[in-house]
Amino acid sequence: MKLQKSIFLGLAALAVGAPMIAGAYEGDWKRGDVYYRMVCTDCHKSQPCGPIAPNSRTRAEWAEYLELANGHAKGKDNVKHYMSKTYRASIASKNKAAAKFADVPDDQLFADVKATLMRSAKDGDAPTGCR
Amino acid sequence: MNAYAGLAQRWVYAFILGVCAVIFVAGNVSAGTADHSKFVQLQQEFKSGQDVTRACLACHTEAASQVMKTQHWNWSSLNPNTGQMVGKKSLVNNFCIGIASNYPDCTSCHIGYGWKDKSFDFSAQENVDCLACHDTTGTYRKPSGLAGHPVYQEMEYPHGSGEIMRPVDLQKIAQNVGKTSRYSCGACHYYGGHGNGVKHGDLDNSLEVPDKDLDVHMDALGLDFSCSTCHRGSGHTVAGSRFQMNVKRSGPLLRGMVEERNPASCESCHGNEPHSAKTMANIKPLKGYTPVSMAVIVNNHSAKLACQTCHIPAMSRGGVPTKMMWDWSQAGKMGADGKPYETKDAKGHLVYDSKKGAFALAENVIPTYVWFNGEVRYTTLGDKVEKSESFVPINRFMGSPTDGKSRIWPVKVYRGIQPYDPVNQTLVIPKTYEGGGDPASYSISFDWQKAVAAGMAEVGAPFSGNVDFIRTQMIWPITHMVAPKEKTLGCKECHNRNGGFSGGRLKDVPGLKAVQFRLD
Repeated sequence: MKLQKSIFLGLAALAVGAPMIAGAYEGDWKRGDVYYRMVCTDCHKSQPCGPIAPNSRTRAEWAEYLELANGHAKGKDNVKHYMSKTYRASIASKNKAAAKFADVPDDQLFADVKATLMRSAKDGDAPTGCR
Repeated sequence: MNAYAGLAQRWVYAFILGVCAVIFVAGNVSAGTADHSKFVQLQQEFKSGQDVTRACLACHTEAASQVMKTQHWNWSSLNPNTGQMVGKKSLVNNFCIGIASNYPDCTSCHIGYGWKDKSFDFSAQENVDCLACHDTTGTYRKPSGLAGHPVYQEMEYPHGSGEIMRPVDLQKIAQNVGKTSRYSCGACHYYGGHGNGVKHGDLDNSLEVPDKDLDVHMDALGLDFSCSTCHRGSGHTVAGSRFQMNVKRSGPLLRGMVEERNPASCESCHGNEPHSAKTMANIKPLKGYTPVSMAVIVNNHSAKLACQTCHIPAMSRGGVPTKMMWDWSQAGKMGADGKPYETKDAKGHLVYDSKKGAFALAENVIPTYVWFNGEVRYTTLGDKVEKSESFVPINRFMGSPTDGKSRIWPVKVYRGIQPYDPVNQTLVIPKTYEGGGDPASYSISFDWQKAVAAGMAEVGAPFSGNVDFIRTQMIWPITHMVAPKEKTLGCKECHNRNGGFSGGRLKDVPGLKAVQFRLD
């Protein structure tokens, strides 16, 4: 019975762990693009600064900005908050993209947006202006 | 442990193992059946696009020969209905005019590598560019001027700009190939005419992430169609070319039906009578009508109206303007410093370029409506044209209210003023590509005689040595940017209160008779 239990535990661990070991989550740039355009840009359109084009910053600048504790809203908060489940839930009733991605883990959605910004930055592989 | 407890334990183990198996499968299987990153052939540093293609063809042995039969590859085909050779390789337009002598710029959108002049080898399989369509990383780019090649090593681009373009990561792109997408198709089709949204009016990069109002089918949060959802094909042949359109009411094209017809039509999915009492339920019926009878009326419209006529209320609705006019005769002006210059409008869109002339752009454009039976005839390079106050049609949509085949279609009417040969009375192709440094290029010489002589020599066409300018017109079918039903045209957009058409969108369409109802 002990042998049976060990085999079972080994198989279970392999099944659950293999996908994680196989590759860390790299970010889905297409999903990030949808979120950036339909949530980030949608809000910024009505704010004083207007839409922010991905190609307005370099990749290094975006990477630094995304990690800044007080990079957003002129030093008031961290932009990561605006990709969190908490924020998405707060606007889900008026923003379809936030509603659609309501259950995406925070770190995944953050990686998605980061991936699209790395692609679309001024020195990215596909520099992208506002649309 | 008694027998029952042991059995129960085994069932628990089996259940948990089953759950784990589901997790394993979900975590490892994507939509495809192959993980290209695991292929040994793709685990190498590629020096060129052709190297990637050779690796692709090692497994996909028939892919290149299939591609070589397509319009995407040949840019030329015979329209059996008109007998005309159509496609970019032979036709002239009133945007950049023609590809001859301008190959390295134009062929950045060819699905091949190295079409830099007319000696390009269309039979070399390694010249097929698999990545242009199958890149999923969104990082594969083929800048104009490189004859269909991506950037292989750091280079200043555009030349003289001081901007450095990094090479594409061919290995990463090759290891992540997959299905086409709105991004990969759009990399060329959104940018026809040398700019975003320039050519078509219903295709621009707002369709990368469209909302429901912009396109009910491609809505990124809804149905999320890719281009190939409608433009289905097989053997690398993509259905739905504007050069060979099908406007027949052919009814639904169901799974299993074997018919040689274009599946990229509204009717293929929706059939000929898509409106029902249910779909009309939220629409206020005309006086004396019910949702059922309203559905009958609207379905009857499809005998004379293309679906697009009502369901695409305007083109260029995604915030990207389309070009409505290009006046080449204005090119050649110099700034105060004696150098070429550019002028942009308030939104930053180019409206004048010394090398190209003046442009007019527009957003939210209401289409023009024409009778169309599916046949398009082109004015080709050798055809006689006559200068007048009217516009020479570079293409003509054939059709009439009485031929029994035509329906009313929405189109973009695009006008140009372009160089022509007033002695031979033909359209001409000027050389405008400047990348090779040819002093004959208009972008370098600002001399139309030299530029046209170079372009016409490239195709072996006669040129008198004289250049004048002629007004021209092209028609483009509008078929994307389908609005949701709440945003389609209502009766009053076309009919006046007496059932007639004066004052409505179809007021200039011939052969329409007032219908017997009142819109009160």
